[in-house]
Amino acid sequence: MRPGRILLIVVAVVVIAGLGVLAWLITASRPMAFAGGGAVALADYKGPPPTGVPADFASTDRIARGQYLTRAADCLACHTAKGGAPFAGGLAFKLPFGVIYSPNITADKDTGIGGWTDAQFLAALRGGVDDTGQFLYPAMPYTAFTYMTDADGLAIKAYLFSLKPVHRDNKDNSFSFPYNQRWLIGIWNRLFNANQRFQPHPDRSPQWNRGAYLSEAMAHCGDCHTPRTLAQNLDNHRKDAGAVTAGWLAYNITSHRLYGVGAWSDAELAQYLSTGYAPGRGVAAGPMGEAVDLSLSYLTPSDIAALVAYVRSIPPVATPGQPAPVLTPAPAAPGQGVAEGYDPKGKRIFEGACASCHSWTGQGSLTPWAALTGDRAVNDPTATNVAQVVIAGAKPRMGTALTYMPAFGAAYTDDEVAAVANYVTARFGAKPSNITPKQVAALRKQS
Amino acid sequence: MAKLTINGQALEVDAPPDMPLLWVLRDLLKLTGTKFGCGIAQCGACTVHVDGTPLRSCMLPISAVEGRAVTTIEGVGATPAGRKVQQAWLDLEVIQCGYCQSGQIMSAAALLAGTPNPQDADINAAMAGNICRCGTYVRIREAIKYAAKAV
Repeated sequence: MRPGRILLIVVAVVVIAGLGVLAWLITASRPMAFAGGGAVALADYKGPPPTGVPADFASTDRIARGQYLTRAADCLACHTAKGGAPFAGGLAFKLPFGVIYSPNITADKDTGIGGWTDAQFLAALRGGVDDTGQFLYPAMPYTAFTYMTDADGLAIKAYLFSLKPVHRDNKDNSFSFPYNQRWLIGIWNRLFNANQRFQPHPDRSPQWNRGAYLSEAMAHCGDCHTPRTLAQNLDNHRKDAGAVTAGWLAYNITSHRLYGVGAWSDAELAQYLSTGYAPGRGVAAGPMGEAVDLSLSYLTPSDIAALVAYVRSIPPVATPGQPAPVLTPAPAAPGQGVAEGYDPKGKRIFEGACASCHSWTGQGSLTPWAALTGDRAVNDPTATNVAQVVIAGAKPRMGTALTYMPAFGAAYTDDEVAAVANYVTARFGAKPSNITPKQVAALRKQS
Repeated sequence: MAKLTINGQALEVDAPPDMPLLWVLRDLLKLTGTKFGCGIAQCGACTVHVDGTPLRSCMLPISAVEGRAVTTIEGVGATPAGRKVQQAWLDLEVIQCGYCQSGQIMSAAALLAGTPNPQDADINAAMAGNICRCGTYVRIREAIKYAAKAV
């Protein structure tokens, strides 16, 4: 073969492989690809409307509807600094490439979005472009909100504009080169933001379609639960298979019976989403606890049921690195249940600080939601969320503010947090973790 | 109204279901032998028995103890293990300032009721959650072993 010919073949192979990778990356961005073809434009859909507010809210005014949708999209969680005024921005997103701050989205004309037109609002919400034409960082989940209807986006705007404007200057981001080159995001958007509205699937139930809209266009579950590709777009080839976001592990919520939530009953899923707790399944803490507090707990039972129906349909993905939770309690005797070789410091901390509420069996002694048995966190061999809960505490929303897990972050060193986390996973989980003090220190910085 | 059984006595108290048992004991029933220490189940001063299990009453909502037998420091002397522990505490003069000792005695009595001859590891596991600011730990350990030998 002539050298020129060989070169040609090599180039062709490289080009085809490159196109294959690109196609794979682009299709990874489609959150509803698993549902197959057959989606229709919203206008051509004959079923009950999957968008907007549930029937219970339909008669209320636009601002009340906007409030419901603002909660469903959970704008508050990111657009409020810790202890800051609601929607006035300033929450820090500590990413590997620098820190970015959420902007003020109150109706203040100088520092917020008070001067924005409807078109500008929708362009930011769904296209990731602000009023000056500058690209937003995709920390703002516009690749999800892009599926939102005009009416719903503008109801959210009406609600935000009905609140008292807060004068608060946006903080400058600290991204370094090349991440401060925002024009690059324009290319990213072309590849990875569908910039298309929600399309229902007539072959699926109305409830499923409502759940799909709530999950994909509003609650943006995938932004935490779906892993990302190297290009930082969501990898929906492994949709909802779990990912670490902001220092917390968002679990596999596919319908896999061992690794996902396939074995949970509808009632358990509904209770977990609306209250942050289901017996034997653990308590939502960290960012999921916040999502329940600020967003999901406000959804009507019909919307929660729709979300459950949709989550149930997510194709199973096996994640053997995250073993299925052990459902049998640990022995009641403190000396049994954990093989030798663990750091004795872990047991010492557990017996002093943890056992009185969680009990040696892990069944929980004060209230059932102090149970560790069956909890995803204690079965995670990275112990990420165990360490985070030890640091930050957990506040279940069971109608009581008086019984909660205190935050131990200030009381214990990284070494101690690691030791107790490793003891807890060894005692109650499927596989002992080996989290290091250094990793604990890194987790503290991320959340 | 919540229906409680405290030291063998059936009672009704007018309190919200999420009120911690400690508040009910101290503020409503005036059973002030049980102490408030940290309020977050980290010091053990508020320990009571619920069906024989030592629990921190500061974080225990009363809804969780309805229909279950609650024993406090005022009633534990009526149980065999409680009587032995209290006598041992007196004989060995365990107490210094005394604030944590109701909780210490409750934890020790529960330990002996379940483990009549506790080893050091058993004592560590059962008593680690009870903190003593005066550092009477050595005497507490001694008194538990002493009580275990008592008839």
